Amino acid sequence: MAEVADSATWARRVVFVLLACMIAVAQLVPLNLEPATWAAPDLLLAMTCVWVARRPDYLPVYIVAAVFFMTDLLFQRPPGLWAALVIMLTEAIRTRHRELRNMSFVAEWAFVGLGLVAITLANRIVLAIVMTPQAPFGLTVMQLGGTVAIYPLVALVAYYLFGVSHPAPGDMRKIGQRP
Amino acid sequence: MARDKASENYIAPVRNLLVGVLVLALLGVFAVWRIDSPRVERLRMAVIDRVLPSFDWVMAPVSAAADLIADFQSYQRLAAQNQDLRRELQQMKAWREAALQLEQENAKLLDLNNVRIDPKLTFVTGVVMTDSGSPFRQSVLLNVGARDGIIDGWPTMDGIGLAGRIAGVGRETSRVLLLTDTSSRIPITILPSGQRAILAGDSTQNPLIEFLEDRAVVRPGDRVVSSGDGGVFPADLLVGQVALGTDNRLRVRLAADYQRLEFLRVLRARPHEVINDPGRLLTPMPEVYGPSALNPATLPTAEAAEAADG
Repeated sequence: MAEVADSATWARRVVFVLLACMIAVAQLVPLNLEPATWAAPDLLLAMTCVWVARRPDYLPVYIVAAVFFMTDLLFQRPPGLWAALVIMLTEAIRTRHRELRNMSFVAEWAFVGLGLVAITLANRIVLAIVMTPQAPFGLTVMQLGGTVAIYPLVALVAYYLFGVSHPAPGDMRKIGQRP
Repeated sequence: MARDKASENYIAPVRNLLVGVLVLALLGVFAVWRIDSPRVERLRMAVIDRVLPSFDWVMAPVSAAADLIADFQSYQRLAAQNQDLRRELQQMKAWREAALQLEQENAKLLDLNNVRIDPKLTFVTGVVMTDSGSPFRQSVLLNVGARDGIIDGWPTMDGIGLAGRIAGVGRETSRVLLLTDTSSRIPITILPSGQRAILAGDSTQNPLIEFLEDRAVVRPGDRVVSSGDGGVFPADLLVGQVALGTDNRLRVRLAADYQRLEFLRVLRARPHEVINDPGRLLTPMPEVYGPSALNPATLPTAEAAEAADG
């Protein structure tokens, strides 16, 4: 975060936080209280990955930390663990975002997908080590698969609705780097 | 990130260090939660108590719209429902007769036996504000909290059966852990055999019956009520019926209607009295023997004995 963010970047950050709030509220509305037989994809996580992979400067690490720690608290997850794992994933994506820009979309998708699998497994392993009650394995796998599957869709929406795309080579406006 | 190599060279390590500290801090919170769960859970409840009531205005219309759609769908099945209801009403009339007779008989018998039944429980009713927001957790948030005198551990029911228990109280909100949650365990009694067991939620619609002593005397259709074991719950709250799962394990079909949990009653369960002191040596008290037994302290019992005789 060496450079001072301009107003357009700040606008995108605000948009991200608002979207995160909307997703959280939508998940909290008590529509069906029976135990689910299927798990919806984790839209917030997919969106975070897309934004970090495309435009890391829109999503500094403290926003990721704040949003995911808050959802940890709201969604009754063990507080801190999932947020820490998501930060590790976003940092891994962030350090490679220049390589990701040059890769094909499928390669980016595969990279992020592997990352999602890794943090989900790590989450389960840590919870097993500290002997915390865990979610059913089938539901977790279903949610993970869904999250990986909707990644292209979220990327598309982020691109067309919110203008989140890889910075073009020679885009000197924000990053000011040579291609 | 930076314009020249030099600044990148010293900014990157500092940034990595800060991110590392952040991750360690979050893992630290997790470790503290694991070691001292109640304190962190109180923190969580305080945060929820602060944040969620302010989202009420946006949730209310959404749930109202969803209810509208559900109601509209039910209109389409109106004729069929009407038929069903008539048939059920016929059956219920027969049951009502039976219940009235039984009630009279029960009252007579209780009168004869002079039995002390559990005191009637009073309740506070709350509106369900939100669910847990995750498919892995089965809990709801009510709009009553410490302000209304809610205490951790109290049972909650919908109109018919047990729905869950209070786990976490904020000032204006409280969380109800539903019976279907994976961490829900409550003691139950299965009638008519009187077997004691534990009802363990496993994130399916029908929780499991565990630690059953004799499976042979329990059959599907038996009534399941809560038991007062361990002082967790008041006894004799209806939970549901025994059912045999497809995996050949005994489960409970819950009486509470989990599809429509809009209002929940929080029962004011009084804490069980615990007998702490060890038994003392019973020594005769000299003044109750002999003629001095007719002192004023013993008079009421004498009167009671006379009344019983007469």
